[in-house]
Amino acid sequence: MKLQRMRIEQLRQFRKPFVLDKLQPGLNLIHGPNESGKSTLVRAIRAAFFERYRSTAVDDLRPWGDSAAAPTIELDFEHDNHSWRLTKSFLQRKRCDLTVGTETYSEDDAEEKLAELLGYQYPKRGASKAEHWGIPGLLWVEQGTGQDIEQAIEHAGDHLKSALNSMVGEVASSGGDDLIETVRSQRDTLLTGTGKPRGDYQQLEKDRARLASEIDDLKERVQHYQEQVDRLGKLAQEYDQAEAERPWEEAQRQLEEARTRYQQVERLEQQQNQEKATLAQLQKNHQLAQQNREQLEGLSRQLEGRKADLERAERDLRVAEAQTPAVAGRLAEARTAYEQAEKQRKLAGLLQTRERLEQDVRRLEQQKQMLTQSLDQAKKYHQQLEQARQQARENRIDSELVKKLKATANQLNEETIRSRTIATRLSWQLEAGVSLTLNNEPLAGEGERQLLEESALVIPGVGTLGITPGGEELASTRRKLNTLENSLAEQLKTLGVASVEQAEDRLSAFETAGRAQKHAEDLLKSVAPAGAEQLASEQGEAENELAKARSQLQATAEPDPKETVPALEEAEAAFVQAGTALDKAESDERDHQATLSALKQSRDNANTEWQRLADEEKSPERQQQLRQITTDLANIEKQQAELESSLERREREIREARPDFLRQDIERYQNAVNHLRQTQENRGRELRDIKVRLEAWGAEGLEEQLNEKEAELDQCNRRYQELRRRARALDLLLNLLTEKRQALTQRLQAPLQKHLNHYLSVLFPDASLEVDEQLRPGTFTRGSELGQMAELSFGAREQMGLISRLAYADLLQEAGRPTLVILDDTLVHSDSERLEDMKRILFDAASRHQILLFTCHPEKWQDLGVAPVDIQASKERGVN
Amino acid sequence: MPKFLHTADWQMGRAFTRFETEDGAALVEARFEVIETLARLASEHRCDAVLVAGDVFDAQTVSDRTIRRVFNATRGFGGPWVMLSGNHDAALAESVWTRARRLNAVPANVHLALEPGVINLQPQGLSLLCAPLTQRNTYGDLTGPFSGYESPEGFSRIGLAHGSVQGLLSEDIDSTNPIAPDRAESSRLDYLALGDWHGTKQINERTWYSGTPEPERFRNNEAGNALIVEVSDPGAAPTVTCLPTGRYQWHQWRETLAVQSDLEQLLERLDALPDSAVVDLRLDGSINLADEETLLKALSVAEARFRSLRCERSGLQLAPTDENIGALKADGYVGEVIESLRQQQEDAESDASRDALAILAGLLREREQEASQ
Repeated sequence: MKLQRMRIEQLRQFRKPFVLDKLQPGLNLIHGPNESGKSTLVRAIRAAFFERYRSTAVDDLRPWGDSAAAPTIELDFEHDNHSWRLTKSFLQRKRCDLTVGTETYSEDDAEEKLAELLGYQYPKRGASKAEHWGIPGLLWVEQGTGQDIEQAIEHAGDHLKSALNSMVGEVASSGGDDLIETVRSQRDTLLTGTGKPRGDYQQLEKDRARLASEIDDLKERVQHYQEQVDRLGKLAQEYDQAEAERPWEEAQRQLEEARTRYQQVERLEQQQNQEKATLAQLQKNHQLAQQNREQLEGLSRQLEGRKADLERAERDLRVAEAQTPAVAGRLAEARTAYEQAEKQRKLAGLLQTRERLEQDVRRLEQQKQMLTQSLDQAKKYHQQLEQARQQARENRIDSELVKKLKATANQLNEETIRSRTIATRLSWQLEAGVSLTLNNEPLAGEGERQLLEESALVIPGVGTLGITPGGEELASTRRKLNTLENSLAEQLKTLGVASVEQAEDRLSAFETAGRAQKHAEDLLKSVAPAGAEQLASEQGEAENELAKARSQLQATAEPDPKETVPALEEAEAAFVQAGTALDKAESDERDHQATLSALKQSRDNANTEWQRLADEEKSPERQQQLRQITTDLANIEKQQAELESSLERREREIREARPDFLRQDIERYQNAVNHLRQTQENRGRELRDIKVRLEAWGAEGLEEQLNEKEAELDQCNRRYQELRRRARALDLLLNLLTEKRQALTQRLQAPLQKHLNHYLSVLFPDASLEVDEQLRPGTFTRGSELGQMAELSFGAREQMGLISRLAYADLLQEAGRPTLVILDDTLVHSDSERLEDMKRILFDAASRHQILLFTCHPEKWQDLGVAPVDIQASKERGVN
Repeated sequence: MPKFLHTADWQMGRAFTRFETEDGAALVEARFEVIETLARLASEHRCDAVLVAGDVFDAQTVSDRTIRRVFNATRGFGGPWVMLSGNHDAALAESVWTRARRLNAVPANVHLALEPGVINLQPQGLSLLCAPLTQRNTYGDLTGPFSGYESPEGFSRIGLAHGSVQGLLSEDIDSTNPIAPDRAESSRLDYLALGDWHGTKQINERTWYSGTPEPERFRNNEAGNALIVEVSDPGAAPTVTCLPTGRYQWHQWRETLAVQSDLEQLLERLDALPDSAVVDLRLDGSINLADEETLLKALSVAEARFRSLRCERSGLQLAPTDENIGALKADGYVGEVIESLRQQQEDAESDASRDALAILAGLLREREQEASQ
């Protein structure tokens, strides 16, 4: 197929007609910058083929804002030596015309013709999409999709296979893949992927199992029902037979008989027991009578015993009485000893009292004497004291005052001496019988005076001489002297003494008296601490005591000096000993008396007992009793013998009747009766039970149910078998179909691989690209690299995609199919070296196919060896 | 001149396997209807009694509803019915009969012959010597005591028994419950009414199997009848009239298809059958695809027309002719598949191959039809 000319009008930016002609059978490079309409041309070619002329989904073809437009595409191409012209208008004028040689087609016929030619399909509605594009989808590469080869191959699908039919002969099948899909979907309703039943088929399998188990259950129940019916028949027969024969009545009769016999034996046993009781009573009576007799016969023996007792009592008494004098003697001795000891003790006491009294007298006399002496001394000391006190009273003077006086006297003395020194001394030696008067004081003989004041010395027959002592201190000294003299005089007066010496004497006397008083007081205190009166009264008391002691001593008898008197302690001990001995002797005597009296009592009692028994032994009642008991004993013994023989007889009778067996018989017959009745009752009950059960089961219609279930199972089985056969057949068919189809694709694989290798060797000399069973390029190998095509870089994938497409084109051409390759700005991701290789490939391919290469990078393709077509230029040319 | 209707083997309560549910139900229903038919015939022919020689019920434990419906269906004839217990409904201690009585389902005019002995129908002048089965199976001749039974003077002596007449019927069918072939003669019977054999069959001039009134299996043809028996005088040979009563006719054909005329013949025969047919068809041999299509169409038509049609074709090989295959337009690998399947079918006699081929042919045919439309 070779596109020769293309004309478009009212299509996107091509509002005016645009013609692209003189297209070459090989490579065509069509270029223009962006927005120049390059893509619109590609779109126009696609729309001319893929879109239905009457489609309403092609608004994109309309020039912008031109609602009245009728986008029109006109294509001229040559194929199979025929000229084809396709004219297609959309939207406002929907038309499609196709001229092939001399034949014309229009509308749908025209479109179908095209689709058949190129191998694609139309969408049912709406715009054409990739899945409709078929073979052109593989050869016409849109911008940027060159690498998506797998999808394109899948979409080409059946078209591709039928297109390649001629190549592989008649092995390809038209609609074979649809057939496979139909078979597969039918198979898949019955089987899972792994061949297991599913859906209805699986359900039937389950139903079969369920029904089979239900049938088994029902069969079992029917079986059980029938067994129960048989059991019912057998039971009914047994029951009726038993009712007719009534075997339990015979057993009952035998039971009654055994019971009667057993009652007889029981009566015998009762009698036996009664007689045994009677015998026991007799034996007891016999024993009692014997005891009585023995008791009566025992009286004489007792009497002897009593006699012996009496004699023994008497003997004991006599022995005791014989001891009496000895006891009394011991008592008298003890008493005497006691009295002697008592006397001794008294004497010793008396002696001791006297000695004490004598001592007292001596002591008291001594005391009295001492007291008298003390009293005399006390009187003397008292006198001394009184004297001292008198002296003290007489010479009482204040020692302080005396001291002061002495000080004053000394001061006066000193002052006087001083005044003499300063005083005018007047000395005188007067012849006999001359007298002078000085200051009225006569002076005679010889003397001297100290003059302190103006003095007047009168010399008789001379006159008066005035003497005035000189010195300034003389006046004060004289005043001081006067003061001192006055004070001294005062003090003397106060003290009542004439002079200082007197005062001192008196003070001395006073102090001496004081000391004497103190001394006398001390002495007095030493002899009469409590005072003299106390001493006097003590003396009086001592005298009284002495008098009393003396009178006591006189009153106390004086012991006989000839008698030896032991010490009081000894006497006391002897006395206590004698007392104890006496107590013992007295106690012995009392015991002896008590023994005597007890023995007497015993003797009297024994005597009384003996007497009473002796009386009784001889009584006539006792003789009578003894005779009576003997008779009774004989009677009892006779009765016993009779009873024993009767008992023995009856015992034998009972033994022979075998009561143990009789009892067992009763039990046996009773059990038999019970058992027989029970069995019959059980039968009756079981009969009723089975009847009820069978009625219930019967109502269920088990066998009818079973029939129905079996029918159901049969049907289920039939259906199952049908489905099984169908499943197997479908499985087989599917396997065969896919197998054969597989074989077919394998046969296409080889030529495709050949073409692919042709191109690949240019691009990667050492590489290989395997075509898989779906005829897709798959495993890529280069040296040691191994991988899927999808794992390659974008550029490499695009290159691989392109060479795969070219390989397909070659294959299609071989099959006699039209090939037109359209590349829209492809290989933009290839580096220059790779691009160079691709150019070689394209050039090579163009020798077999027409290739339209649209690009906006014409500079990259300059070395392609073809004249580029400039859209822009063509547009302008068209306008012109 | 007593006259009675002789029937047997109703087998009520039987369900039918091997049929579609709907067909099975219709066949069951027909068995109830045939009782009504019997009652109507008895009335029409002014019979004195209806004698049922055993197997009224197919099993002891049928549903209450079945029991009631059976007795309800007898209403069309008001005269006496005598029903004998057979091997399927033996008079056991507990049986379908005791249940029927408990249900109060047995009308007054229906006499149940459940114990050996004589039932005298006074006004009708019939003395019925009955040999009911009281066990499921017996190995002695229950009709033996007939000779000892006395009948009132002037009454017809009619024996009623269920079992297999010895030496006459094939051994494998109910060889238990034997009956001496000369029983009628040896026991001075005017007529011996027998049940157990489902086809109508005369044993001797006084001994008949009536057969079941409505067929219920493909074997034993001559089923679907009742006998009207007229005894002119005691001792005289009875007049026996066979009346068809069955609604459905059962046909079981085994055919081998070899040449095309075989198929044509078969289809003609099918065409000739009445609508009330119950057909069981089993085909073997081989058939080409075009003929198979013809056969399938014919079967489809017949299926709709008959009560039931079953056709087993697994033994019938598909032998597509080149012409057939050409018609299918099976080109390419699909054609290879057809050839491979045909080969497998012949070589291995594989059912799966045959079926696969049939399916494939069907699919291709459909495709062709779609294409031609």
